[in-house]
Amino acid sequence: MSARWRWSVGLAAALCLGADPVALRIEPSARTLRGAGAMQQYLAIAVDADGAERDVTGGVQWKLSGSPGAEFAGAGLLKARQNGEVRLTAALGSRTAQATARLEGIDQQRPFSFAQDIGRVLTRSGCNNSTCHGGVKGRGGFQLSSGALHPKDDYEWIVKGGEYQVLTTEVKGERIPRIDLKQPAQSLLLRKPAGQTPHGGGVRFKTDSEEYRALLNWVSQGAPYGAADDKQVTVTRLEVFPKTLTLERGGSHRLLVTAHFADGRTEDFTRSAVYASNDKEVAAVDDDGIVKATRLGETAVLVRAAGGVTSATVGVVGKALPDFPRLTKANFVDELVFDKLRRFRIPPSPVSSDAEFVRRVCLDLTGTLPPPARVREFVASTDPAKRSRLIDTLMDSPEFVDFWTWRFDDVFRVAVFSNGIQPKWSQMYGEWIRQSIASHKPYDQMARERLTAQGYDGPSRHYLPYDVIGPPGETMAEEVRVFFGRRLDCAQCHNHPYESWSQDQFWGMAAFFGRLFKMGDQGNEYVIFDHPRNQAMGNGDVDGGIALNHPRTKAELKPTLLDGREIVAADGENPRKALAEWMVTQPYFAEAAVNRLWSYFFGRGLVDPVDDFRSTNPPTHPELLERLAREFRDRKHDLRHILRLIVESRTYQLSGVPTAANRDDRTNYSHTPARPLDAEVLLDAISSVTGVAETFRTGVSEAAARTSGQAPAGTRAIALREPDLFYSRFLELYGRPNRLTLPERNLSANLGQALHMLAGNVYNEKLSAPQGRLMKLVQAGRSNREIVDEFYLAAFARLPERDEADGLEAMIARGPDRLAALKDFVWAVLCSREFAENH
Amino acid sequence: MMNTGCLRLTAPAASRRAFLQAGSLGFLGLTLQDLLRAADAKPLRGKAQSCILLWLEGGPSQMDTWDPKPTSAFKAISTNVAGLQISELLPQMARRMDKVAVIRSMHTRGNDHPQGTHYAITGHEPNPAMHFPSLGSIVAKEVGPRGAMPPHVLVPQWERSRQYEEYFRSGFLGADYDPMAIPDPSAKGFEVADLMLPKTVAEPAVHSRQEMLKLVDARYRRLHEGAEHARMDGFTAQAWKMLLNPRTRDAFDLSREPDKLKDRYGRDAIGQSALLARRLVEAGTRFVTAAGYHANSWDTHARNDEGHRDRLCPTLDRTLAALLDDLSERGLLDSTIVLAMGEFGRTPFVNPDLGRDHWPNCWSLVVAGGGIQGGQVIGASDAQGANVISRATSMGDLFATIYKAFGVDWTKEYRTPIGRPVKIANGLGDATGQPIAGLLL
Repeated sequence: MSARWRWSVGLAAALCLGADPVALRIEPSARTLRGAGAMQQYLAIAVDADGAERDVTGGVQWKLSGSPGAEFAGAGLLKARQNGEVRLTAALGSRTAQATARLEGIDQQRPFSFAQDIGRVLTRSGCNNSTCHGGVKGRGGFQLSSGALHPKDDYEWIVKGGEYQVLTTEVKGERIPRIDLKQPAQSLLLRKPAGQTPHGGGVRFKTDSEEYRALLNWVSQGAPYGAADDKQVTVTRLEVFPKTLTLERGGSHRLLVTAHFADGRTEDFTRSAVYASNDKEVAAVDDDGIVKATRLGETAVLVRAAGGVTSATVGVVGKALPDFPRLTKANFVDELVFDKLRRFRIPPSPVSSDAEFVRRVCLDLTGTLPPPARVREFVASTDPAKRSRLIDTLMDSPEFVDFWTWRFDDVFRVAVFSNGIQPKWSQMYGEWIRQSIASHKPYDQMARERLTAQGYDGPSRHYLPYDVIGPPGETMAEEVRVFFGRRLDCAQCHNHPYESWSQDQFWGMAAFFGRLFKMGDQGNEYVIFDHPRNQAMGNGDVDGGIALNHPRTKAELKPTLLDGREIVAADGENPRKALAEWMVTQPYFAEAAVNRLWSYFFGRGLVDPVDDFRSTNPPTHPELLERLAREFRDRKHDLRHILRLIVESRTYQLSGVPTAANRDDRTNYSHTPARPLDAEVLLDAISSVTGVAETFRTGVSEAAARTSGQAPAGTRAIALREPDLFYSRFLELYGRPNRLTLPERNLSANLGQALHMLAGNVYNEKLSAPQGRLMKLVQAGRSNREIVDEFYLAAFARLPERDEADGLEAMIARGPDRLAALKDFVWAVLCSREFAENH
Repeated sequence: MMNTGCLRLTAPAASRRAFLQAGSLGFLGLTLQDLLRAADAKPLRGKAQSCILLWLEGGPSQMDTWDPKPTSAFKAISTNVAGLQISELLPQMARRMDKVAVIRSMHTRGNDHPQGTHYAITGHEPNPAMHFPSLGSIVAKEVGPRGAMPPHVLVPQWERSRQYEEYFRSGFLGADYDPMAIPDPSAKGFEVADLMLPKTVAEPAVHSRQEMLKLVDARYRRLHEGAEHARMDGFTAQAWKMLLNPRTRDAFDLSREPDKLKDRYGRDAIGQSALLARRLVEAGTRFVTAAGYHANSWDTHARNDEGHRDRLCPTLDRTLAALLDDLSERGLLDSTIVLAMGEFGRTPFVNPDLGRDHWPNCWSLVVAGGGIQGGQVIGASDAQGANVISRATSMGDLFATIYKAFGVDWTKEYRTPIGRPVKIANGLGDATGQPIAGLLL
C-alpha cells in the first residue's frame, strides 16, 4: 500500500464522515478468492438519509472473523493466506456491516498467461497506450495492441519483432526481437523502459520495480506464451463499481474493478486496471482508481484492463437540496431524467410558458414557425389538454411529413453528386423516403428496404454515388454508421484502436456488398443486383468472377456478420437479406435510432456525437437509452411513437430559461438547451416572417435537371431535395451539409454569417419587397405598435413586453423616415438570437 | 451519353444564369481569436508569407509542358537555365525558368478527377467517413491571418461540380478555415457578396440598426447566456469594422489595376483570378487558389495536342509569366510561393481520339517563390514520361516543402473529433512527407 493511497483514503475519511449515515454496507458482499496471493478490495459504503452513498472505506473499523485464512493488507484490502472462509465486519459509529469471502486454491499458482501477466505490466506502465506503442502505427518502430487487446500479436511483435503494417502482410524492415533469451537483462523490452537505452517514452519503471522483475523473470524463463485460449485466463467482461457515483466537491471514492473470466470465475482487477478521466477538471482519478471531485459537472472515468474497457459516470454535485421539487411525470422519460437530476442535486426549471412551448414544438416537429393567429389562439385557450392536441395536429400535418422527410434525406444522403448528374435518381430515392414517412412505415422496414435494395427501386439509388457502385467497405461502413451509430471505418485499414472491432470483422461485413453490380445502357437506367458467380452478364461486363479479397491476407472474403456467423447465400439469392434481418434485431439498431431522434429535440444525443457509440463514449442516461430502444422495438419501430413520447414528456416541456441552480447543467436536461436553428429552417423562418419566399436556382443544365433551372416558386429550403443542385449562399454559410459525406452539421457562428447579416441579400432585400409582411401592414394603415406586435408574434411567438414595445415605438417614431425605421426594426428581429435559436 | 465516369469539363459550360449574382460560398475564415492574435502576430520563421496555387484543373500533359519527351508532338526548347528544357508551347516561361523549380517525379493516387483532386489538394484518398482539410485550410490555420483579410480564398468558385469545391474546404478543422469562394473576376459585373453595405443602409441606418438589435435582443440575452452569443458578437463587431472600412473591399476591387497589367495576365478567368490572387496576397491573404480553368479544362481525352497548343499552354504561359513578373516587380516573390499544378498528368500514349487519358503515376509541376530555389529540376521520368526513375515525390513531400517554407512543422498531426491522427503532410504508404532536399534556399 503506497503512502499516497493511505493519504487519499485518510482525506476521504476526514471529508466524508460528517453526517451520520442511515445504513452501512460492504461491497462486494460475498466473493471467492482463488489462487496463491489472491487479494480483494472491499469498500464500505455509507448511505445517507437522502439516498446518497459515500465511500467510507478508510474511516470504518475493519475486523475479520471465521477461519484464520486471510488478513488485511490495507483498509478493506483482504489478502488470502490459506483456504477457508472469513467474515468481514466494518463498523462506523453505531452501524456495522458484514461481508464474506471464500478462499479456495490458495496453495495453487494460477497458470502463467502472457495475455494477463505480461499484458498487465504493459498496460499499467502505459507502454500500450494508444498515444504510444498502442497507436495504430506504433511508436519508434515498435507496436503493441492498445490495452493488450490482441495479446497474440503483442507476443509476436515482442518475441520475433516486426511492425504491423496497414493493409499489407509484409513485415516492414528488419525483424528485431525485443527480448534477448541469452542475456535477459539486455532485452530491449527491459532496457528501454528502465531508461538504460534512450527511450522516447522516458523511464517507465526502475530496475527494482515489480514491473521490471516480472518482465525479467518472464524472459529468463524463455518468454513463454503460457496458456493459450484457456478459459481460466480469458477475460470476457470488466465490471466497475459503482457504475454511477456522485461526489461533493473535494469528495473521493474508490472504484472497484472486477474481471469476469470465461470459466465463470471473477477476480479483483482494481490494481490491474488503468484509469483515465475524460474531464480531469471535473474529477481526477489516480493509478489506484480513487476518484477525486474538483469542480461541479459530470465526467466518465474509463477503466481499461486485459484488452477490455468499461467506464463509470462521476457527477460532482452541489450541496444537498432539502426541498427538491416534487415533479409531475408524463412518462418514463421523466422518471429517468428526473431521477438523475435528483441524484445529481440539480433542480429543473419550471414548465415552459405556452408561448415558449408553441414555438419550440412547431419548429421541432415541423420545422415551421407558428403563424401569429395560431399563437394567439393557443395562448388564449383554456383547454387543459391543449398541448397534447397541438402535438396531434402537428403530427398529422403535411409539414410534419416534409420536415421528417428532410431529416432523413440528410441522414440517408439524398444528393445528385455531380459527376454524371442524375436528378431522376435522387428524386426516386427521396420519394421513397417521403412515402416511407407519409405511410408510417416502421423504421426497421425502411432499413430492410435500403439494405437489401436491388433493381431500379428508389432505395437502390443510394448504392450509386457518382453513378458507380461504391467500394464495398465504404458502403458497409456507412450502413453501420447510419443504422448502428457505430464507426467501423477505422477497422478498414487496421484493427480498431480502442474498440474490439477487428479488420477481419470489417471485411467480413463488407463482403455483403462485394458482389453489388450495376447494368444498363450507357448512362442512365442502371439496375442494381448481386452478380451471380461465374456467369457472364454480357454487355461487356466482367464474367462474374468478381470477388472481394482481404486486403492483407488476400483470401476471398465470405459475408460474415459481426458476431462471426458466416452467411452462405445461394446464387440468385440476395445476401443482404440475412444482413438486414440481423441488423434490425440487434440492440444497436434501436439504440442508434432513438438516440438520433432524441438529439433532434435536445441538441445532443444521449450518446453524443450520435453516430459514435463506443465503450469509451458512454451515454449520459444509459437506462433511458435502453428503455427508449425497448419501447421502439415493442412498438414495431414506430418513429412517431418515439417522437410523441419525447414531446409529451415534461422534460421536453420544461422552460428553456435556466435557474441559478441549474445554469451550468449541459447534459442532464434540467432546462431545455437553446439550439441554433438548422440552416434550412432558419431560411424558411426568415421567409415566413418577412412574407417573402426565397428563390432557389440550380447549377446544372436544364436538360439534366427535372426542375428546370429553378425550384418552383415558393419552394421551402427543407423541400430542396438535392443540396448540391440548389446553390444558396445563405445555406452554405449556416452549415447546410452537401451530403458528400455523412452529414455533420456545423452550427457554430462564423464571420461569414455576421457579414451576411449586415450586408447580405437575405437579410436586406426581403425587408422592402412590396408583397412582404411589412409593406402589407404599412399599406393596411397599421400603427407602429401593431406592426411591432405582429412581428413579435411571427418571429418569437410572443408579444413584446411593455418596456420592449415602448422602447421600439420610441425608436421608430424618432427618425424622419418611418419606413426606413420599420425596416431597421424587422432587420433587428431577424438578426436577434431569440429568432435564430430554438429555445 | 454523358456518363463516362469522367467529367466532360471540355464540353461547353451550362449557361451561367444567376450564379454570378448569387455571390460566394464559404466563410471568411477568421475566428475572433485569430483576429486578436493577428494584432500582435510574431514574425514567422519561414520566408514564405503567402501561397498562390494556380490550379490546372483536369490535369496537364507532362510531356507537352514541363517534361518534354519524344512521345510529345512538340519540340523541347532551351530555357534561360542551362541544360533545362521545356516544351516549345511555353516560350515565355522558357525565359523565366531561373525563377521556378520543376518537379518531374510526382507520383500520386486517384485516377479520376474527384479522387485525383481530393488527393492533390488534401494529400489523402477520399473516405466517406472523413472530411480531410485542404492544403490551403491547413496553411490558414497554421500561419494565421494578416490584418483583416480572409486568410484563405478560392477564385473563381465552381458554378457546377460543386463537389470539387468541397475538397478545398477545411473538413474537420471547422468553418473558420474554409476558403472564401468568390465569383469569376473576369465576368461582367464582378462583385464579391457581403463586403459592401446595401446602398439603402447609410451611416444613420447603421446606428439605428445597432440600437434596435440591442433592444430587441436584450430580454433574451438576459435569460439565456450563451458562449455562442459572445462568439457571434465578436464576429458582428468585426463585420461592422470590415464593412465600414474600405481596405478589405478594395483588395477585391480589380478596377484599381491598370489595364496594361490586366492585359498581361489575360482578360479571361485564368488571368484575372491570378491577378486578384496577387492583390489578395499583397493585402494579407495567406492562401489563394486561382482556379480559372473551370471552363477551359486540361482534361484532353480528345485532341490533346490541339488543346495544349491552342487553348491551354498559351494561357498558362501568359498568366504564370505575368504573375511571376508582377510579384518580382513588387518584391513579393520572395515571400509568395507560386505553385502551378493539376490533379494528375496524362498518358504517355495517345488514344484513338488523339487524346491522352489520366496518369497519376508520373507527372510534373512547377513551384517558385517564397524561398524556393528556382532554375532546377527535381526528379526524373523515364524516356516516355511514364514512370518515375528518380526521386519519386509524393504529395506529402510537396506539402512538407511548402510548410517548411512557411516555418510550419511539417511533421504535425491533427486529431479528428474521434481521435484519428491525420498527418498534415501525408506521404505514400503512411509515411510523413519530407521536404524536398535542395528546393528551399
